[in-house]
Amino acid sequence: MGNCLTGDVAGGKQAIGGVQQRPTSTSNNNAALNDAVDFFFRSRGQYPLFSQIELSLSASNLIDRDITSKSDPMAVMYLRKKDGKLEEIGRTEVILNSLDPNWIEKITVSFQFEAVQTLVFHVYDVDSQYHNVPVKTLKLKDQDYLGEATCVLSEIMTKPNRSLTLNLNGNFGAGVSRRLGTLSVQAEETTASKTVVEMNLRCINLDNKDLFSKSDPFLRISRIVENSVAVPICRTEVVDNNLNPMWRPVCLTTQQYGSRDNPLIIECLDFNTNGTHDLIGRTQKSVAELERHCLQKESVNFVYTSTSHGRNKVLKGQLIVDRFVEKVQYSFLDYISSGFELNFMVAVDFTASNGDPRNPGSLHYNDPSGKPNSYQQAIMEVGEVIQFYGSDRRFPAWGFGGRTSDNTVSHAFNLNGAPHGDEVVGVEGIMSAYASALHNVALAGPTLFSHVVDKAANIASQSLSQNIPKYFVLLIITDGVLTDMAGTLDALVRASDLPLSVLIVGVGNADFSQMEILDADNGRRLESSTGRVATRDTVQFVPMTAVHSGQVSVVQALLEELPGQFLSYVRSRNINPVGAPAI
Amino acid sequence: MKRSLEIELISAEGLKVDRKPVKKKTFCVVRIDQNSEVTKIDTFGGSHPIWKDKIVMEMPMDGSVRFIIVEVKYRTKGGAEKSVGVAKIPVTDFVGGFAPQGHLNFLSYRLRDQCGDKSGIVNVSIMVKPDGSYKSPSPTVAQKDYAACSSQAAAAANGQMWRPRTSSSMATTVGYGGRVVTGVPVWCANNNNKSSIGYRNSTKW
Repeated sequence: MGNCLTGDVAGGKQAIGGVQQRPTSTSNNNAALNDAVDFFFRSRGQYPLFSQIELSLSASNLIDRDITSKSDPMAVMYLRKKDGKLEEIGRTEVILNSLDPNWIEKITVSFQFEAVQTLVFHVYDVDSQYHNVPVKTLKLKDQDYLGEATCVLSEIMTKPNRSLTLNLNGNFGAGVSRRLGTLSVQAEETTASKTVVEMNLRCINLDNKDLFSKSDPFLRISRIVENSVAVPICRTEVVDNNLNPMWRPVCLTTQQYGSRDNPLIIECLDFNTNGTHDLIGRTQKSVAELERHCLQKESVNFVYTSTSHGRNKVLKGQLIVDRFVEKVQYSFLDYISSGFELNFMVAVDFTASNGDPRNPGSLHYNDPSGKPNSYQQAIMEVGEVIQFYGSDRRFPAWGFGGRTSDNTVSHAFNLNGAPHGDEVVGVEGIMSAYASALHNVALAGPTLFSHVVDKAANIASQSLSQNIPKYFVLLIITDGVLTDMAGTLDALVRASDLPLSVLIVGVGNADFSQMEILDADNGRRLESSTGRVATRDTVQFVPMTAVHSGQVSVVQALLEELPGQFLSYVRSRNINPVGAPAI
Repeated sequence: MKRSLEIELISAEGLKVDRKPVKKKTFCVVRIDQNSEVTKIDTFGGSHPIWKDKIVMEMPMDGSVRFIIVEVKYRTKGGAEKSVGVAKIPVTDFVGGFAPQGHLNFLSYRLRDQCGDKSGIVNVSIMVKPDGSYKSPSPTVAQKDYAACSSQAAAAANGQMWRPRTSSSMATTVGYGGRVVTGVPVWCANNNNKSSIGYRNSTKW
């Protein structure tokens, strides 16, 4: 999900859903993530039977695990796999001091019609000491457990209003059964619309709700869905002690606001740390109306509905839309099909840790019967995908960690053995170059990635200076044992600002923990020894064992993060698809 | 010889003083050689400020300057200015190396306080302004007429690229029939031939 959780000072004051933090982080429009995979399947006449579903979660009557205040709940969604293990799909944000939370952060899951997808929801109470930490990095075992619920995704999808309420249950020891409250799941299909609306909002003359200081206002925007339930879609940050607040620009995707005429409820609330935010005022406007107010420079009066009388009171407080911009966010496919080229480079691990090629246990085993070894299998499977997305079927191919014919260990030698010209054509080219390298190169060590990463970075930077719209992907096929972690980190961080992604494909069953560190999926950014931090996430690790055990397809595994990494590069630089009008 | 640098102080993340998140108004000071420039103050962000403030500074290119210093500071209620942390940006990170001339470099650095403890991350972009003779290499190339391609491609690609909507009860949940048509480009079977690339329903373009 989006990188939009900022983790603010006072915990819970951050903006959620629609505020971008880093220039190079992709916004929360992740529908694009999957169109690359779909496209691959569709092009060969296979239609993937799934659609993207977005789940909104809310809960009521949760139990209270905090002594002095109420629980601070966060929900985590898992998919139960065939072997019974739970795979985490996503997390919501933490809502402060609430037993009836209505989470804003949505969780996306692909709904496969033919499969039974069992979803497991865990609800946790997050202690206040963790409130400034990005939720992705939270260790769940440190949090208080509030209960869990299970359902099958198709159960939700077949309900007429696409929502389902589940009873939470949990094991608190001694067989005590308690009422743990309920969890409601609302499903919606994601749209692939590329329109994004950006607004600058501010308020004037808000009522004061605090006794000793002024109100601490924030806006919460909810959308009314079909069955007239309001689903919160976005929340601005809290502006402390101000009755004329101005917020950071709010960015809403079509996925969030529905259609231009769909009414949105905009509430202005006073932030209270105890979780009972006082309503200052509310108004109901569609996106189209907000645009009109912006054009005509009109302000919108807030209304307060008093609970005792049920009467609406028009307030002095007003909402002003200072700026309204409709933008188009191009997707990965827009770029690729407009002529933005993807160029793949391949590097194969020739270090001794793979085992002697004469030994049948080796990953490089040279089978006399011609049966492909682990590397050949990986090259073939991966090759199919990169051949499809690679624009010219020509791949620079290198080996590393091998002793070449001149009896020196090289950390980036040409796989085809040629002194000049490292390019091979097609998967067959890689395969034959690999076979010849296996004959001519002795496995050695140590395992250094930095040379091939630097070589790839050089190619990427050369194309930059030649003004060609290209994006590069370096595919490193390795057994995963790395000698020089610091050097590799330095090289990856150095290359993180270039149009380059690094896909590490792990073969064999070695310990891949180092690769997981490089992948940095836990939200931490790679850091070099000189203190430079990776500009964006460019590394993805794909273990082939996961592919072979049938958990994911090769295409899905390889293309999982690439579109996002690609978009983070082009969007941060305002690069448009070739020939498309400027945004 | 001197060149002007366009430095944008974009944002910072996880600013800390004494291991506690910064709540106060933060700003940046950039130092090159003896010169220094100050950004505007962020009042919203606390420990995650966003400045998006561009400054232009001169830098001698004779190798005498090896680092640009970025210091994040905060202003206390009393008006005093205190340091959060400092990052030293090696000039080689944006001149020479992998960065072609005129390239907009997005760079991030770890901030460290006086004791050497980590006190956050600062995100900047730096561009060495090209001298007059050089053309900026922003990759917005090849003027192609979108309308012209779309008519060609639509006929060839229709029916092959996506599944038509089924009339079964699943139709509402299928998604693909409906998803693809909204201005998603269509790529024909022959993907090397770029003239066969086109856009259907190109109202948004």
